[in-house]
Amino acid sequence: MLLALWPAHWSRTQRSNATLIAALLLMVLVLSVLGQFLSFFPEPIGSNAELFAEGALTTLYLTLVSGAVGLLLGTGAALARTSRMGWLRWIASFYIWAIRGTPLLVQILFVYFALPVLVPGLNLPDFAAAVVALGLNAGAYNAEAIRAGLLAVPRGQTEAARALGLPKSRVFTDVVFPQAFKISLPPLVSNFVALLKDSSLAYAIGVVELTNVGNRIQSATFQPVQTLVTVAITYLILTTLVTQVTHAIEYRFDVEGRVK
Amino acid sequence: MSATQTGSPYIVAQDVRKSFGAHEVLKGVSTVFRTGEVTVIIGASGSGKSTLLRAINRLEPHDSGSITIGGTEVTDDEATLLKQRSEVGMVFQQFNLFGHMSVLDNVTLAPRRIHKLARPQANDKAMQLLKRVGMEAHAHKYPWQLSGGQQQRVAIARALAMEPKVMLFDEPTSALDPEMVQEVLDVMRQLAKAGMTMIVVTHEMGFAREVADRVMFFDQGCIAHDAPPAEFFGNPANDRIRAFIGRMSA
Repeated sequence: MLLALWPAHWSRTQRSNATLIAALLLMVLVLSVLGQFLSFFPEPIGSNAELFAEGALTTLYLTLVSGAVGLLLGTGAALARTSRMGWLRWIASFYIWAIRGTPLLVQILFVYFALPVLVPGLNLPDFAAAVVALGLNAGAYNAEAIRAGLLAVPRGQTEAARALGLPKSRVFTDVVFPQAFKISLPPLVSNFVALLKDSSLAYAIGVVELTNVGNRIQSATFQPVQTLVTVAITYLILTTLVTQVTHAIEYRFDVEGRVK
Repeated sequence: MSATQTGSPYIVAQDVRKSFGAHEVLKGVSTVFRTGEVTVIIGASGSGKSTLLRAINRLEPHDSGSITIGGTEVTDDEATLLKQRSEVGMVFQQFNLFGHMSVLDNVTLAPRRIHKLARPQANDKAMQLLKRVGMEAHAHKYPWQLSGGQQQRVAIARALAMEPKVMLFDEPTSALDPEMVQEVLDVMRQLAKAGMTMIVVTHEMGFAREVADRVMFFDQGCIAHDAPPAEFFGNPANDRIRAFIGRMSA
């Protein structure tokens, strides 16, 4: 969407950079004026505008932090899953199996309520517990997306790099990973957008994010339609901006000009 | 073509064996490749010629026997292997250019990473090599924008960028359209004239006749015949070879 704004003669990198900057600025702008903007709306939105804005900010923050954790975990798990060492593969498979096979809500509740029982002294505050659970969850799904990318890079690429005398670490960072990442990007974006929406489950352990705010207001004012529509539209705005950023990244790596 | 006898032994294979499962692809291959010598290896598909080439830089580790490069044995020892690989250039049938990098970056990657060359110097050197293979006008393109022949010429420049002492060619023209074969063979011919030590697995009989110092015929995992091209083609050692040459030249 934003990519189409730039002059035709700009290079791929320039368009990508411009989109990235524009989308990030827009995001900052939207979040900073959201409170003021909503305050012009009729009741019950106007009087609770600041709460909505803070909720949206918490949602985005929660998503960004757990998304980063999830990306690191996912990369690590994908590497372990494709490793030559059997025990590493086993650990990664177990992690992916356990996380993908249980509901996210249960995982969130588990980290918040059960972990302190199992590990005395590990009392995570609600936000941190949500980050841990969401990060672990995103990591398992990202691992499979990244593994698919790693497996899709032709063997010949590795062989050519090895034949040049590049050490294994370089073969990975210079040749395999950049190509795998490009292939993994669309599913990673899906996972990230899903994470943004799934962060609403953190509401179950009392994190005051967007959904929690909306639910509190609708139960206090008995006006569910207006409140929940506002919540939904705010999510839509956030996901739209996030996909602009990720689309720009995808476009940047698209040296073959296949992304339209 | 040039002084075959004067070159010192560079790559020595002794009783090299390799199996894939129950199928033995190399059945005790012993030979010597000398400095400055151009060896062309021919033979039917599956006769083990590519496997020998890939065993030399350990892309395909051999099961037994030994291969030495400049006196040092090829083993899994990482440090030695990296050094050996950087001295042995390899060109693949499928080119294997790095798809996410421009032509220039493909050529400069290894020198920048291994010889720690700064980007400007690496670029200068790469441009000289690209000029040598006639690809300097395409330096900023990506592999997908090039024809097969062009990609293979870039792949040769990429291998040359490490200043290898020997170049291995694994069926470099087999994946090319007929009209692009010559442009790649021309580059290889030029390299041979410049004195590069080369081991070429190919089905191009014309190239073998004209450029090779010796022609090696692989048959079922063994070197069935090894002779200078004039003798090899002029007076085939047996009917199998005669039949093979006949099929290839037809």
